[in-house]
Amino acid sequence: MAKKIIETPNTYPVLGRWMNWVDRPGNDRRIFQILIVICIASFSLEWTYEKHAYFDIESYKGFYAYYGFVMFAGLIFVATILRKLIKVRENFYGKKSIDTEDYPEDQIQRINHDA
Amino acid sequence: MMLDLLHQVPTAFLFFLAAGVILLLPHGLMRNTVMLGLPIIAAFQVWTLGMGEFVTIPFFGFDLEFMRLDRLSRIFVLIFCLAAFLGNLFAWHLRDTTQQVAALAYAGSAIGAALSGDMISLFFYWEGTAIASVFLIWARGTEGSYWTGMRYLIIQITSGVILIAGVAMFYADTGSIAFEKMELGSLATWLIFLSFGMKCAFPLLHNWLQDSYPAATITGTVILSAFTTKLAVYALARGFAGTEILIYIGTVMALFPIFFAEIENDLRRVLAYSLNNQLGFMVVGVGIGTELALNGTASHAFAHILYKALLFMSVGAVMYRTGTSKASELGGLYRTMPKTAIFCLVGAASISAFPLFSGFITKSLTLSAVAHEHYTYIWLALVFASAGVLSHSGIKIPFFTFFAHDSGKRPAEAPLHMLLAMGITAFLCIFIGVFPNFLYSILPFDVDYDPYTMGHIAGQLQLLFFALLAFAIIYRRGLHPPELRAVNLDTDVIYRKFMPSVLSYIAFVIFSLFKGTSLLLKLSVIKLTSKLHHSHGPDSPRAASWPAGAMVISIAALLGLALFVIFFS
Repeated sequence: MAKKIIETPNTYPVLGRWMNWVDRPGNDRRIFQILIVICIASFSLEWTYEKHAYFDIESYKGFYAYYGFVMFAGLIFVATILRKLIKVRENFYGKKSIDTEDYPEDQIQRINHDA
Repeated sequence: MMLDLLHQVPTAFLFFLAAGVILLLPHGLMRNTVMLGLPIIAAFQVWTLGMGEFVTIPFFGFDLEFMRLDRLSRIFVLIFCLAAFLGNLFAWHLRDTTQQVAALAYAGSAIGAALSGDMISLFFYWEGTAIASVFLIWARGTEGSYWTGMRYLIIQITSGVILIAGVAMFYADTGSIAFEKMELGSLATWLIFLSFGMKCAFPLLHNWLQDSYPAATITGTVILSAFTTKLAVYALARGFAGTEILIYIGTVMALFPIFFAEIENDLRRVLAYSLNNQLGFMVVGVGIGTELALNGTASHAFAHILYKALLFMSVGAVMYRTGTSKASELGGLYRTMPKTAIFCLVGAASISAFPLFSGFITKSLTLSAVAHEHYTYIWLALVFASAGVLSHSGIKIPFFTFFAHDSGKRPAEAPLHMLLAMGITAFLCIFIGVFPNFLYSILPFDVDYDPYTMGHIAGQLQLLFFALLAFAIIYRRGLHPPELRAVNLDTDVIYRKFMPSVLSYIAFVIFSLFKGTSLLLKLSVIKLTSKLHHSHGPDSPRAASWPAGAMVISIAALLGLALFVIFFS
């Protein structure tokens, strides 16, 4: 069972409190909308300058935009399939690997922010 | 006077000297002052020395060149000094002599190798980096890190052995040990090439990187990330610039890790894959080999060491406070580690090559060099790889550590010295991006290049923002591969699992055969002796007919035989 996580912004450092804006209800949609606006703005830059393309394909209007979008989506898609092929349990390599080891406690300093 | 003296000591020896001196100093301020002061002195030495060959030492009839300073070696030595400084600052809290000595000896070896004018001293430093660096893995002190360190050491030492074999053959062929540009063709140069390729993590020779870097200590990984692979890039740039096969090797290197990084759970391993992908860009630059391309490689190495260290530092700081670097266990940490989060975002923006960050002004040199030479498919592949960098280093690292779903962890902000190290590195990432001429002025060749043209900026912004848009859509629809506690197989499964199990199977078969046959033999011998004993032993019926002097007769016969043999020999 996932336990309920309580937000206590007034205990966060100032910077953390400001950044907490991203997690306020509805703001994820707002961020997405801002991203769309930025995308449209960057696409419209195409009409502000003259292209000196090295390759034919580069000279299409918005080549980088299409290419970035399609290839990124393709990357995630292929990676998802790849995971199905190569994923194994975490202790696959057993004791000869650090995969399931805890990091030695004497080399770290766990402190809670309100401690 | 002091300066003259300083100029006569090879830079690497300064580091080795300091590694000895800190043994005499108590932990704390004094020791840390040496750890931080030395890289500054070394950088000052190299900067004031000018160009040329300075220290030559005769060695069994060879002249070893310990200080070959030209514009190519200088930029690598300077960034190595800077990386040593930042890494040691990040490790200010350490009270571990092994790691401190290893860090200095490792940095010294890498710098020594970059300054070597001949391939014998290169070999010594090459092995030096292997031996010193493994202690940064072993210092973790767990069973897993011990075995990982062993695997790492075997591969690194093998690289050195192949190097010296190649150098010996090269000397036999040409009569020279000078470390200059070579042509692939003879077995000697192929061996040297292979040795460089192992350290540079060429595809299929890459596994040591992703295996070992996540196994090192928190501070050890930051230091490891700077030296070994970039030394190999330097060695390739020195020895094999313009070798066409490197273009294709580099492209594969830039491509395949991005898929693995996307689904990897351990964030330090994600960064190791990402490091591999970045090396791909540098190797392509070496393969193109034009002045523009080599400038691209050198500047990319410079910027890369900084932003990669910054990313390793930020994940390391999180690990220092939470004990884990697994994406599945993290998330939402910006709330209480906001400064670390911002520094991580600067590193992410730099590696993704957003305009005004260091990656932008260096990666575009390499991409332009590829475009100049009209390698269309290579160029397309590298632009794709740039979008891939955004996905794992630009998004995955900061997003799944500091944002995304709230893990409920509320660790305190990183300690002051870590924040300082990250802050300086982040500042440098932005400074280089905003004022590219600073970095351009120390590149191996004169630069006549403006990264901030409208075409570059618009193209890059479109590529990155539309890739981000793709991510946002995929993530919001829940199609992004979730962060899972799992391990993904890479080709190292061949030597970590398959080969040992095949070998142990073969060993089992041979052992069983041997044991079976020997048991059979033993049984038949026992049977035979007991039979003989039965028929000829003292209690047998035959014993009754033996003469009393049987022993005397047999000794006489033996002596007679000996006499016979001596007489005829």
